[in-house]
Amino acid sequence: MKRLSAWRERLVDFFFPAESDIWLAVLRIGLGLEVILYALSLRDDWNYLLAGTGHGLISRSLGEAILSLESHLVPRLGWLVALAAHIGLREETVLSVAWICLLTAGCTLLVGLACRFSAILAWFLHLCAAKSGGFVSYGVDNFMTMGLFYLMLSPLPDQYSFDWRLRKSRPRDPQLLGFWRRLLQLHLCLIYFFSGLTKCIGSGWWDGSNIWRSLIRPPFDIIDPEILVRWRYLFPVAGIFICLLEIGYPFFVWNSKTRKIWLIGICAMHVGIGLMMGMYLFALIMIVLNAAAFGAGLIRLERHRISLRPQEAVS
Amino acid sequence: MTLGKRRVYLAGLALQLFLIITVSSRDTFWVLSKSRTIFPDSCKKFWQQAEQIASMALGQRLPRSNPVRQILTGYLHLSGIEVGYGFFAPNIPNSYKLIFELHFPDGRVEYKLPRVSNAASVLRVAGLLDQIGRTRSEPFRQTMVKMLADSVRREHADATMIRAIFGSVVLPSVPEFQHGKRESYEFLYAYDFSVTDEATEQMPP
Repeated sequence: MKRLSAWRERLVDFFFPAESDIWLAVLRIGLGLEVILYALSLRDDWNYLLAGTGHGLISRSLGEAILSLESHLVPRLGWLVALAAHIGLREETVLSVAWICLLTAGCTLLVGLACRFSAILAWFLHLCAAKSGGFVSYGVDNFMTMGLFYLMLSPLPDQYSFDWRLRKSRPRDPQLLGFWRRLLQLHLCLIYFFSGLTKCIGSGWWDGSNIWRSLIRPPFDIIDPEILVRWRYLFPVAGIFICLLEIGYPFFVWNSKTRKIWLIGICAMHVGIGLMMGMYLFALIMIVLNAAAFGAGLIRLERHRISLRPQEAVS
Repeated sequence: MTLGKRRVYLAGLALQLFLIITVSSRDTFWVLSKSRTIFPDSCKKFWQQAEQIASMALGQRLPRSNPVRQILTGYLHLSGIEVGYGFFAPNIPNSYKLIFELHFPDGRVEYKLPRVSNAASVLRVAGLLDQIGRTRSEPFRQTMVKMLADSVRREHADATMIRAIFGSVVLPSVPEFQHGKRESYEFLYAYDFSVTDEATEQMPP
């Protein structure tokens, strides 16, 4: 019985560790920046990619019809367009307003103004765009939805936000902060584990051919293959390195001795993806999620170590 | 934090992790059952069964109108966990290319690609072409190509006929590249659209 209660206590300690809100500040600022870059990257094509039948690249209506087959509960731009039609607003105007609101939500998240409202607005508008334009969505949209979903549910505001200075009522439960961080950490572990697992079952990652193919595959072919081929001996090493890095993430990132190495390795991999394949939005969101989940503690640890040094010297 | 509140949070966390694991497993089993992997082909039936069990746990075997399925699927989308994480795995497929051949009344012929403004949008269009290339549904493929052709027609209203040529970009391996082989374009499908917007012809590969 004693063992059971001790085990239960350890479980509660694991899921509700007392945490500061540094990780939340990293997540908020990072996602704010991501939302801004996302909106700016789609500035010229927003209406073109998300317009209804007969106005854009593909019909938003078709994407939304397919989405309705899956679930009627998923937010979409069609809802906003239909709502605005009642007051005589055109589709183009609604899409432009949605884009401006998304950009504004990104900016207010970045500075920490009306954090909760900004997080909900950014999540909702990004989700509407990602789902309505489902045919032109890719991995980055899922990670942004996931990050914004956790952010809007987390105990905002953090101490580095404008809200913290402006408002008197502040969330003060470090265990709740720890809970949301733990969820993000566990989610990231599952992401990398399954990503690594599916890579490991393909032969192309072990012999490096997938590295070569990913770098010369349009539209990721931003480095001249003539230059790449000179580094061919590194492809198998890089392929195995990525497989091990991803599948080993849930096992090595928890240990304080290996966390730094794993985190640097993973972030370096994402920087490489951003620079060598042009997927800078994808790279940024992954670095932000990693930094918030496991990086914020490392920075704090370093600060503690530095602050301890004079005392150690005295003793 | 009270014990009751903790229990509610833990139940939510357990549900969230269960859904993430089930969705990721389902997609991994799907990859295993469809792709060439290090496992023997005789295992494919097992992977298919495993995928079906995971789909069942997610309510995907229920009728589409079932409220449980609607709510579960809705939640998966809201939290961004409706798909697994098998990016660029298990192997990297060829990419696809769509070229429009525009015919004008004076006999002129021009070639165009789907138009977008910047590199970020190019990534999105590439994803769309991958979906068109991978689908086994001919009506879906034809509808998507027709919509893309329509976007080109709007910018070239004087074109009398648009031929959409869909192909696969075949990538060379490192040794092939060293022997001078470069990426090549393999024809897959072609659709002719007259000004009445009907796909009048389809040429099989």
